[in-house]
Amino acid sequence: MNNESFEKYNAGTHILGRIFSVITLVLLVGAPFLIGLFLGAMPDLSAVGKGFLSVGIIWFVSSIVEFLVYTPMLGAGGGYLAFITGNLINMKIPCAINARDQVGAKSGTPENEIISTLSIATSSLVTILVLALGVLLLVPLQPVLQSEVLQPAFENVVPALFGAMAYKYFRGNLKIAAAPLVLMSLLFILVPSLTGSTSFMIIPSGGLAIGIAFLFYRQKAKALAQETDLHTKAGDKS
Amino acid sequence: MNILSLLNSIPLYGICGGIIAFVAVVCVIFLIRAYRAGVAIGMDQTRLKQVILSSATFSVLPSVGILLGVIALSGSLGTPWPWLRLSVIGALHYETQVAQAAAEQVGMTSLSAREMTPQNFVTIALLMSICIIWGMALSVIFNKSYLKKLQKNTRKESSQGGFGDQAMSAMFIGLVSAYIGSYIGGFVSGNGLFTFSGSILPLIVVAVSGLAMALCLYLSEKKKKVWIDSFSIAGSMLLGMAAAVIANLYL
Repeated sequence: MNNESFEKYNAGTHILGRIFSVITLVLLVGAPFLIGLFLGAMPDLSAVGKGFLSVGIIWFVSSIVEFLVYTPMLGAGGGYLAFITGNLINMKIPCAINARDQVGAKSGTPENEIISTLSIATSSLVTILVLALGVLLLVPLQPVLQSEVLQPAFENVVPALFGAMAYKYFRGNLKIAAAPLVLMSLLFILVPSLTGSTSFMIIPSGGLAIGIAFLFYRQKAKALAQETDLHTKAGDKS
Repeated sequence: MNILSLLNSIPLYGICGGIIAFVAVVCVIFLIRAYRAGVAIGMDQTRLKQVILSSATFSVLPSVGILLGVIALSGSLGTPWPWLRLSVIGALHYETQVAQAAAEQVGMTSLSAREMTPQNFVTIALLMSICIIWGMALSVIFNKSYLKKLQKNTRKESSQGGFGDQAMSAMFIGLVSAYIGSYIGGFVSGNGLFTFSGSILPLIVVAVSGLAMALCLYLSEKKKKVWIDSFSIAGSMLLGMAAAVIANLYL
């Protein structure tokens, strides 16, 4: 596939992504009305309006931030799919990042676009399958899943995920990770109520990490430029 | 017929299951297109299959966690609606909060089947949908132009060395740092400033799954057991979660 046909693939991804997203939007917003027809009751639209103004605004702002931050990580296909299927922070983002690193794909490249889409689509299908099986076997599974002994395991799925990912990413980037980790720990220690807004705290933490990474990047680029300069001068003299 | 029987009835399973099936088809279409495009640009098919396998193993345990979210909400909203929400668009950490807030908006004291009426249910369901559709809506409108703009910058940058990849990794490091910081804060000040009496379980889990990951990477990189890569995250998570069960017995 040459550049032109990959562009075609990409254009197709945007067309399909938009069409499927709009259909899913209509289905999701329409479902309560359809269910209402069966139940013989329609949604109270004034309560929905008031509810949106009081709680929905927070999710609206959060969605803007999620879109701006995660779209560059996910690319076109992965982005459309991830926003359709949800569970971004606790699954789709780490899954896509892990897949990208496994293959060594660079962001913004066709490889990254393919890998991201493959990983998000697979991850979404696994969730759909696990939930479908879980719902089908809800009665026999419920005692196991809700057993008191196993509760700590299921309550700590996200720490287990981030523990593994932390080792993988921190080991080669300790200088970048140290400051956000210390700052976030101090903030959460001094203002414990922030625990309820962890997903919002990703922004300053990520911003700080990007800032530090940029400083190192600039330093490295400067050193490289100086080295090249020296080599050129040495070449000129000889 | 009581409200939960209505909310667990076959028509509701049909409506919610139909939407989930549609989204599953969308995922299959994107998967096949991406695989074919990957092969066409010359990517190694074994690597592509490895990505699919590792993404699948990666997703099993978090999916079981999400299933618990379905069970938690099924007591008040029935099973089909939480099944739909957590299979499509929803997020484990949002759903309970949004459902609770929506219940308060319709005048319920708490999210429970006892106070649920058909109108309360459809109102809560609509509010839950409207609150969380914005990421998808923004994607429809801005995904293409936003990525185009980013790509332009990336091209400009790559002629100067490229910072995009490091920025992505740094953003992810920031994300993980925020969560680990919240576990440290929860332990130190969760029950009052500097009381060190909050839950230490998340920190034990982070440490164990981190160590397990270190072992996996050692085996993969030093002992050349490359196959372990596909299972390293899932295996590390499993050990971390097992540590939570064991530690809980002694704490």
